[in-house]
Amino acid sequence: MSNSNVYNLCCRYQGKVVRIQDRNGRVHVGEITRVSRDRVWIRPVRNQGGYGYGWYGYGYGYGGFGYGIALGAITGIALAAALFW
Amino acid sequence: MRNNYLDLLAYFGIGGAHPGGLPLTKSILRNEAIGPSNSVLDIGCGTGQTAEYIVTQFNCPVTALDNHPIMVEKANERFKNKNYNVTIVNGNVENLPLPNNSFNFILSESVVTFTSISKSLQELYRVLMKNGTMILIEMTAEQTLTEEMKIKICDFYGIKEILSENEWKARIHEAGFDKIQIVNISTELVQSEINDLNPSPNIDIKYYDIWDQHNELTDEIDSQLGYRAFRCSRS
Repeated sequence: MSNSNVYNLCCRYQGKVVRIQDRNGRVHVGEITRVSRDRVWIRPVRNQGGYGYGWYGYGYGYGGFGYGIALGAITGIALAAALFW
Repeated sequence: MRNNYLDLLAYFGIGGAHPGGLPLTKSILRNEAIGPSNSVLDIGCGTGQTAEYIVTQFNCPVTALDNHPIMVEKANERFKNKNYNVTIVNGNVENLPLPNNSFNFILSESVVTFTSISKSLQELYRVLMKNGTMILIEMTAEQTLTEEMKIKICDFYGIKEILSENEWKARIHEAGFDKIQIVNISTELVQSEINDLNPSPNIDIKYYDIWDQHNELTDEIDSQLGYRAFRCSRS
């Protein structure tokens, strides 16, 4: 993905819970709290699991904006929850 | 014919893209007597999440069919190097490339809705063995569905008709199935976590727009649309 595409998508999803895949194959799930030209910050959330969907709280140890991911390292981004037909 | 919505599901490679997701699939299949000697057909298998669940859970041969080339490719990718008894077939539900009376169990998870419903049901009847069972989880019109909203939904999802619970039962019956029950499930429309994703590289921004439009439409639909799980058998 190009950096400008990733940047635009991060801005689009600011405040939403997303699923980000990075170059190393790792998956990050969290709410986008801040976007800069070269980084996106996400605050990890944990799923309550089981049936349906709901986030029961933020991950421990992540205050403020959470942690940053370099836009250049991102290979995929999508909303982390949805209702599909 | 291209369907933007189904393309979106294919490009993002979303597993369990049907109401209730995999948790609903599991809760329904838990009550079914499927064993290693049974053969299962999963139509509209997508990237193969349900097919993988069935083959590992019940240890029976599974035929997984889809007509979207990218879905078929991603399903093949899922099963590559895994020694599962899964056959992936590129085919159309309205004209199944499968012999008569060949499956004990058929599963359709929000698939028939996207086809010519009666035609598909006749095909499913044809390939199901006598005394076999078919489960359909399908979009269902609630009584509150307005004509205006119906048109909007059909246009957006590329579907021809939205059936009510009774209309579904009538259609299934017409296709030859003699016993039709509604499976007791929660049909509340809730989002599920997406945890099975196999996105294509460089997805066109257009599909992100379609995803957003889909979310807006789903909010607008509110309680006008739901889904049901139908358990159908033939004697």
